[in-house]
Amino acid sequence: MGKVIVVTSGKGGVGKTTSTANLGTALALLGKSVVLVDADVGLRNLDIVMGLESRVVYTSMDVIEKQCELNKALVRDRRVDGLMLLAASQKNNKDDMQPEQMKAICDKLRTTYDFTLVDSPAGIERGFRNASAGADEAIVVTTPDVSAIRDADRIIGLLQNVEIEPINLVINRFSPQLVGNGSMMDQADVLDILNIDLIGVVPEDSGVITSTNRGIPLVYEDGSPGAQAYMRIARRLTGQRIPIPDLEQKGLFSSIVNWFTKNR
Amino acid sequence: MNLSIKQLFGRKPKSSNIAKQRLKLVITQDRVDVDDRFMTRLHHELAEVLAKYFEFSANSVKMNLKQEGNSYILVADFPYTKFHDMSMRR
Repeated sequence: MGKVIVVTSGKGGVGKTTSTANLGTALALLGKSVVLVDADVGLRNLDIVMGLESRVVYTSMDVIEKQCELNKALVRDRRVDGLMLLAASQKNNKDDMQPEQMKAICDKLRTTYDFTLVDSPAGIERGFRNASAGADEAIVVTTPDVSAIRDADRIIGLLQNVEIEPINLVINRFSPQLVGNGSMMDQADVLDILNIDLIGVVPEDSGVITSTNRGIPLVYEDGSPGAQAYMRIARRLTGQRIPIPDLEQKGLFSSIVNWFTKNR
Repeated sequence: MNLSIKQLFGRKPKSSNIAKQRLKLVITQDRVDVDDRFMTRLHHELAEVLAKYFEFSANSVKMNLKQEGNSYILVADFPYTKFHDMSMRR
């Protein structure tokens, strides 16, 4: 029986869809069978980020309305074995779907696929409730800034209320330079506030922009810091124990000052 | 000594520290606001303990969380009508 993991954040624009696309692709590259579910009904984007937009024929709404079988609605990603996408309907809105209907889809997918990743819309309303309805576990994506972290805390509370466990945190768009000079909270600061398990830190990577432009998830062309971070998170999701590297970049000057202050 | 070295180089407080402190405060409040059940439970449990020592009418009790500068203070008013003197019961 596979796992259903909802990828969520509360705040928009922190990288939920990018993270879903890259983690799903990374899991498939590791040999797992994966289906990505776009739960952002009315504002679908996972298809275009994955570069599969031209091949979407049916959506989850067609499955719910019994216009087509679930298997037939899945779009196969031909670049890697075992990676599928279930697109969201663009002409409907979030209220057209019931949480139980999404749960029924997830329950079916769980019997066939190792991982079902559900890309949640931003917010705490119906779209989020639909997305998390069928989930066993959650990945909360945040960036290290006050608004994203505050919203992440709210989402974590809601996930805990419905007993989704574990809830793992991804810190996205982490800037080693800004952390090094004290302008950005580091991972210890974020964890101290949110108090959940960290599954990975993804550094700011301009490659994300070009990979999204082209519709090729970063992990297909590994080597970039972002791709490596997503690959490590995917390995952790499969149960491998891989330490989280310290990405903080200390300037020479602050290293010297810290060395003096620490060694007293 | 720790401080003086950093001060010597004219360091302003790091904005990441300011962010962390502000967040901690606001999230404390968010969590209590959201979780009405938490305040209700706390209310019941405090009342249960206090009822051993005091007599008070349940609807005169007031509880809330107040912000004062850098911290939150739990303010609980349990106006009592009678004090049960435990020492007399022995």
